Amino acid sequence: MPAEDSRFTAADVLRFTAPTEGYLCPLSANRYGIRFNSFKVRDVDSNAALFEVRAPPASDDEQIIVDDLTPEQEVQIRSIRYQFPSTVLSLKRIGTTLEFSIGPEPLNTFRMIERHYFREMLIRSYDFDFGFCIPNSTNTWEAIYDIPTLDPAIQRDMVANPYMAKSDSFYFVNDELVMHNKAEYSYFDEAAAT
Amino acid sequence: MGLLTILKKVKQKERELRLLVLGLDNAGKTTIVKKFNGEDIDTIAPTLGFNIKTLEYKEYKLNLWDIGGQTSLRSYWRNYFEQTDGLIWVVDSADKRRLLDCKAELEKLLVEERLAGASLLVFANKQDIVGALSPEEIQQVLGLDAITRRHWCICSCSAVTGEGLVAGVDWMVADIASRIFLYD
Repeated sequence: MPAEDSRFTAADVLRFTAPTEGYLCPLSANRYGIRFNSFKVRDVDSNAALFEVRAPPASDDEQIIVDDLTPEQEVQIRSIRYQFPSTVLSLKRIGTTLEFSIGPEPLNTFRMIERHYFREMLIRSYDFDFGFCIPNSTNTWEAIYDIPTLDPAIQRDMVANPYMAKSDSFYFVNDELVMHNKAEYSYFDEAAAT
Repeated sequence: MGLLTILKKVKQKERELRLLVLGLDNAGKTTIVKKFNGEDIDTIAPTLGFNIKTLEYKEYKLNLWDIGGQTSLRSYWRNYFEQTDGLIWVVDSADKRRLLDCKAELEKLLVEERLAGASLLVFANKQDIVGALSPEEIQQVLGLDAITRRHWCICSCSAVTGEGLVAGVDWMVADIASRIFLYD
C-alpha cells in the first residue's frame, strides 16, 4: 500500500459506518514499539472475570517476524475472535481493561478509536485520548460502563449469528494511524453448549 | 486568574471530570483506585506508567489517572496536568521516614500553574497499619493549613479495607461540581 493511501486520520475513521475492507495501515506503521499485553473483561458488580487474553512475553525477534509475513499470518496477528457466554449481553456493568507497553520513545498523543458494528450497522463507538505515554512504560486503561440494553430480538439475533458482530480498533500517535486491528464476536448459550 | 479559569470552565455537554492520582511510590495509589472499583488487590505491582479508570459515578463521568510514583517517573507527571479538575495526593501514613519527601513533592505540584484550578484531596492512607500517623498529624507535617487559594480536604483511609475511599471521592466530586457546574 503506497504511503499516501495509508494516511487516515481520527476524523476519517469516526465517519466510518461499516467495518473496513482490510487494514488501513501496514503492521510496520507501528514504529513506536506499541504492544498489547492483555485484554480483560469483567463483571464489575461481582468482579468475576468474563474473558482474559494475554499475549506471550515479547521476544527480540518479533520485529523480524513482522517483516516476513504471509497475508494469512498477518490476518492472524491483527484479528481476534471472541467467544462470550450470551449472559454477557444482559449484564449491567462491565469493565474492559487493556494493558499495553510503549517503546523507548515517548508518545505525545496516543488515541484509540474503536467502532463496533452488528450486521454492518454501527452500534457503539469509543474514543479515548491517552495523551502522553512515558517511554518504556506499561500502562492500563479500564473503561467501566453500563451496557446499553440491547433489544431482546437483537440479542437473540447476535447469539444466532456468530461473528456478525465486528469491531475495528484504530490507534493514532500524533493523529497518524499506527495500528489497526479487527475483532469478531460470538455469543453462545451456556445451556446449549455441550 | 485561577478563579477566572475555573468560572469559565463550564462543560455543559458532558459532566466529565479528570482526577489525577499522585504520590510517592508505594503510597497505595493503584490499590486505592482498584479497591474503589471493586477489583482484586492481592497482587499489585509498582506502576511503571499509568493506570486509567473511566467510570460513571453519580451523574459524572470520572477519569482517574493514576501515574507511577517512582523517582524516575515523577518528572513525567507534568505531562498529565492539563485539564485536571482534581488532584488526589496519596500519603503512606506509616512511612514516616519519607514524609518530608512527600511534602516537598506535593509543594512542587501546588505551585504548578496548570494545576492552579484543581481541588486537592489528600488521602492519609494505610490507617490500618499500627503506628500510622493520624490525618491531623499528616495535615500538620504537610503544612496543609497554609493552603488558602485552593479547596482542599484531608481524608483518612485504608486502601486495603476500603474505609474512607468513598467519603474522599464524594468530597472531591461535590467540590469540583460546585465550582464547575454552577451555571447548570
